[in-house]
Formats: sequence, structure tokens, C-alpha cells
Amino acid sequence: MRTLAIARLLARPAASGRTAIVLPIVAFGVATALLLTTLAGAMTFFGRHDELAFTYQALALLACALLLVPLVTLGGSAARLSARRRDDRLATLRLLGANTAFVARLTVLESVLLAIVGASGGVVLYLALTPLVGLISFRGHPLGAGALLLNPLVVAAVVVGVGLLAAVSAVIGLRAVVISPLGVRARQSAPKVHWMRIVLGVLVIGAVVLAVAQPSMFGGALTIVIVLVVAFAAANAVLGLVGPFVIRMFAKSGLKHATTPQRLIAARTVLESPKAAWRQVSGVSMTTFVAVFAGTALAMIGAVSGERMPHSQEVLLADIRTGVFITLAISFLMVACSIGVGQASAILDRRDLYVSLDRMGMPVKTMDAARVRSVLSPLRIVTIGSAVAAVVVILPIAGAALIFAPASLLTIAASIVGGILLIWLGLLATRPVLTRVLAEPVAPRE
Amino acid sequence: MDAMTVILEASALTKSYGDTHALAGVDLSIEAGEAVAIMGASGSGKTTLLHVLAGILAPDAGSMLLRTGRGEIEISGLNDRARSALRRETFGFVFQQGLLIPELTALENVALPLMLRGTPRTDAEQLAARWLAELGLTGLEQRRIGQLSGGQAQRVAVARAQAIEPLVVFADEPTGALDSTTSSEVMDALIASTTGRGRTLVVVTHDEGIAARCGRVVRLRDGRIVESRSRVAGFDYAQTPPASQAAFGAPAEQRGETR
Repeated sequence: MRTLAIARLLARPAASGRTAIVLPIVAFGVATALLLTTLAGAMTFFGRHDELAFTYQALALLACALLLVPLVTLGGSAARLSARRRDDRLATLRLLGANTAFVARLTVLESVLLAIVGASGGVVLYLALTPLVGLISFRGHPLGAGALLLNPLVVAAVVVGVGLLAAVSAVIGLRAVVISPLGVRARQSAPKVHWMRIVLGVLVIGAVVLAVAQPSMFGGALTIVIVLVVAFAAANAVLGLVGPFVIRMFAKSGLKHATTPQRLIAARTVLESPKAAWRQVSGVSMTTFVAVFAGTALAMIGAVSGERMPHSQEVLLADIRTGVFITLAISFLMVACSIGVGQASAILDRRDLYVSLDRMGMPVKTMDAARVRSVLSPLRIVTIGSAVAAVVVILPIAGAALIFAPASLLTIAASIVGGILLIWLGLLATRPVLTRVLAEPVAPRE
Repeated sequence: MDAMTVILEASALTKSYGDTHALAGVDLSIEAGEAVAIMGASGSGKTTLLHVLAGILAPDAGSMLLRTGRGEIEISGLNDRARSALRRETFGFVFQQGLLIPELTALENVALPLMLRGTPRTDAEQLAARWLAELGLTGLEQRRIGQLSGGQAQRVAVARAQAIEPLVVFADEPTGALDSTTSSEVMDALIASTTGRGRTLVVVTHDEGIAARCGRVVRLRDGRIVESRSRVAGFDYAQTPPASQAAFGAPAEQRGETR
């Protein structure tokens, strides 16, 4: 009861304004709606038992695997934002003598509440979208809104799952507050990224290439599909493992050669938390990764579509093309949300830094340039790295001719440009958060 | 007061936040080379006054003149960008802990204001190293702020404020988070590097001991100056030992405030 009462007190808008409450709710909502829609779409392929049913099911699983990591990333970053926004107040509560269990309960409660509110909104959004998504045609017929209605138990499980994800992220984010109430305020330690990440990353990518090149060694057809799905999801996850290390290496070199305040601050910002810098741009790594697969698939369709083939094969190819576009569109939507949340939370996190720079007389333009640079420099490395990783993984199945075909290259290039544009728009859209943060603390009450 | 040596001149300053009148008609002249302590209870308007004097906030009404060797500047008439440039070029700031950039090293923190003025990084870092040495921080240049003690971090802030050779240094509760010994060391450093070199120091404080180190104490209540008292004319700031509270004749209601 006491936890609830204090949670209500703390729920009043803080210096961070409503952004810190609304953003996680919106992000949880979009993530839930996309997850439910993707699940519903995939489920429609599992009701049939004809000869192509298995192919459709395998492709649906593959699309889900490609979307799984970005979905979890988006949910995770929303959860982190909702937990982190209270760091300062929670540290204060600890200093005032609130015990560990009480602080933990309060944070988890707040994060889970925001997640459940967002996820419930997501269910409404998913239901509202079904008539529209139902118009998409697969196997020669529109899917139909009715086919996209999931079992209410599955929907409830997804909402509970999103709540759990929020709780877990809140507990992880909370450890710092619980261990040292002053640690969060003083930011004593600079987190390190271990080189073992690279070794582990190379090993997993190697295993994935082997598995993809010789799937027959794993036996039956279903096993092959599962191996492929797991392999792609693993390669995707490996990017998240290796990314922070590579970003840190480049930031170190950037720091050495920094000649202007914005370059210096940008490099130090990235070095302060390469993992956070990675999270800001990891969405684009996903779209790049998906784009290489999508581009190759489109090139493959282009290569065979001139040939004579049975009607069902033609429909299958058209469906694959539709599926590829849907997968790309969904991953772009998730990236757009992740960036909005990531940028707003990065600004709120660094509020003290920005206020300090403003008072010293650093122009807002310079601060913004430092912020943009701290995102766009890692972005360059990320897009190139992800594209190369995806090409390495897909090379054993598709061959260079397909990957580097014009249709493929065009899809890859368009996706990379689209991704960079989205990040840039995200930076632009969150600039008001920066100006608001600067306007608030300069209104002392004494 | 000789008009030639007045560096900051505030007339009829007002500033409100909604219904709260933080400044309700403040007149204040500050001489070049003077150390002025601004005191008052919480909510008396002292931080707002410091922010208006330093051009961080624009007053609602009134005039805020800065006299430099190159002429007069009406600070209250400047837009955000011009006030930002003024703070960058002319003033130094020492705030209560937490406003150094935690991601940067001590050296980079001190070099930053110079880099903002266009000084090349290597030159800025050389100058910064000299300032850190001056403040007894040799060997700590590459430490991040979280790796320094409270007193060391505050001396880095003092070095940062001095790096651009400012006309005026503004300090807001510069020793607010420190114990009394460390706080005395930081004040020594602040006074020696400002008034000790002929620069002007304006400090907001709750601490009578800190105020006693300044040549003049200005007291605010409800957004108005209720007292402005100089200690001794021709005061030699750099060599003055800390004075006792009683010597200052603090009003009874202020005495219990020392943190």
C-alpha cells in the first residue's frame, strides 16, 4: 500500500516532463501491436496441410526470426527508459533511508504499469489494424481480418510477456541504484567492453556459416528449417555482441583526433557507454541485415520469374516478394520507435551535462552537433559491419551473383539510406526535448 | 563608489516565476576586483540574482550593465545567443558539485571553455594543465571526475572557471557539498585565483564562514536587498584569514543556516 502511495506521488511530472512517461508507453504499444500482427500473420500459414504449406511455414518462421531481435530490443529500450527516468529520485529515496526491497518494488511496479498500459494500447492498435492487414493477399486470396484474430489466451500471454520484460529490465537497471546510491549520481566507473566479444562473435558467425552451408548434416527438413531460423537469429544477435566493441575502437581513435569541443564530447560520450551508443543505432544494423536477405530474395525471384512454371510456384514467388516487403516495413517501424525512445532517453540521461554546457556558454547548436555526431559516427561503422556480416552468412546459400545483383544492391542501398534518414529524423525530432531540458533547470526558486 | 571601477551594475531588476517574485527591484553595483557574497534564506532570490547577473537568465524588467575595457554592454537587452557568447567569452562559473562533465577527464574539463573560444586542443590542454598545477592537481589530469574527491573535483571546477581569464567568476554554493576543511581549501583556491589576481568574484552561499572570506556581503529577503555591508575599505583579499561569524554581525535569523 505504501509502495502504491509513493508511486503515485512520484508519478507527477518531473523535470523530464511527460516525455519520460509517454514515450515508453507508446514504444511498448507499438512493439506489442507489431508483435501481435507478426504472430497473427505467421499463424495464418499453419492451418493448411497441402504441399506448399511447409514452405510457407518455414518462410514465416524465418521472417519472425529476423524480426525477433529488433522487437526485443525495442521492448528492452522502452523498459530501460521507464526504469531509468526515476534513477535520480530513487537514489534520493535510498539516501533518505528507504530500504532496498522498497526501492526495488517501486521501480518494478512503475515500469510494469507503464508496460501494461502500453501493451494494452498495443492490443487495441493490433485489433484496429487487422482489417487493413487482412487485405494483404497470400496464396491468391486476401488473408481476411478474421484469420488474423489470435486466440485471446495468446494475446494475454503477449501482454504478460511485455510486462515481464519490463520487470526484468527494471530490476537490471536498478542494480546500480541498489548497490550504490551515490554511484548513479556520480557516475564513478566507465564501463568496459571486453575483447572476448569479438572472439565470441567470430565463433558464432563461423558456426552459423557452417550450419547454413551444410544444413543437410542436421537431418530432416524440419530440422534444417529450425537450424536456419536459429542461425539467422544468432547471427543477428551476434551483431549486438560485437557492435559495442567495434564502436569503442573507433571512438578511441576519434578521441585522439578530436579538434573541436563537439568532436571531443561526442567521442567521450560514445566511450562512456559503447553499449548505449550501440543501442541507439542497433535498429539500423537490423534493417541492414534484413535488407541483405531481402535484396537477395528479390534478386532470386527476379532470376527465376522469367521461366515457365506452375501457377502455384508463381503465386509463391509473388508471396515471397510481399513477405519481404512486409518484413522490411515492420523492421523500419520498429527502428523509428527505437530511435525516438533512445534519443529522448539519452537526453534525459545527460541532463546535467547539457545544463552545465549551456551555463558555460556552449551554443545549443554545438551541443546538438555533439549529440548528432555521437550517433552518426557509430552509425557508419554499424551499417558497413552489418552488411558485411549478413553477406558472409548468406553467401553459402545464395552465391555472390545473387547478392550483388542490381535488384539486391538497390534494396540494400535503399534500406541503408532509409535507416540513416530515420536516425537523422529521430535526432531532429528529439531536439525539442533538449531545449526543454535546458529551459527547465534555469528557473531556480530562490 | 567610483563609477570608473564598477564592473557590474544592476538597476531595478525584477524576475517572477508565476506568482512568485524571485527578484522584486534589485539595485546592485559590483566593483572590479571585489569579492561579493550573496546570502539569504532559501527562496530569497539569491540564485536568481546570480543567474541574472551572469546572463544565464534574462530579467523581466530592469537594467543589467557590464562595463569592460571595450565599453558597456546592456546584458538584459541581449538575446539568448548573445548572452551565451558573453558567458563563454567573459565569465567563469563554479557551481555546486555535479556540473563538471563526468565523461571528460579533469584536463579536458578545464580545456573545454578554451576550445569553445576556438583555442586549438593542444594549446588548450597545455593551458589547462598549467591551471591544474596551479591548483595543486598535478598528476590527476587524466582522472575522470568520478575518480576525484569532492574537494579535488571542485578545484577542477575552479580551474575551469579561470581558464579563459574571465572578468568575473560566479560561484553558486561552491562548497555546498564539502566538509568544512575541504570547503576552506576550495575557498582559498577560489579567492587566490580570482580577487588574488584582480578579478571579480560573486558567490552565492548559505555559509557565513564562506561569506566572511568576501569583502562585501549582500543579504536578500523576498527578492529585495535588505543589507549590503563592506568589511574594511581597501581590503586585501588574498591575505585575509577567515573571519569569525560574530565579527560579521550576521542578523539573528540568518545564523542557523550554515550547512
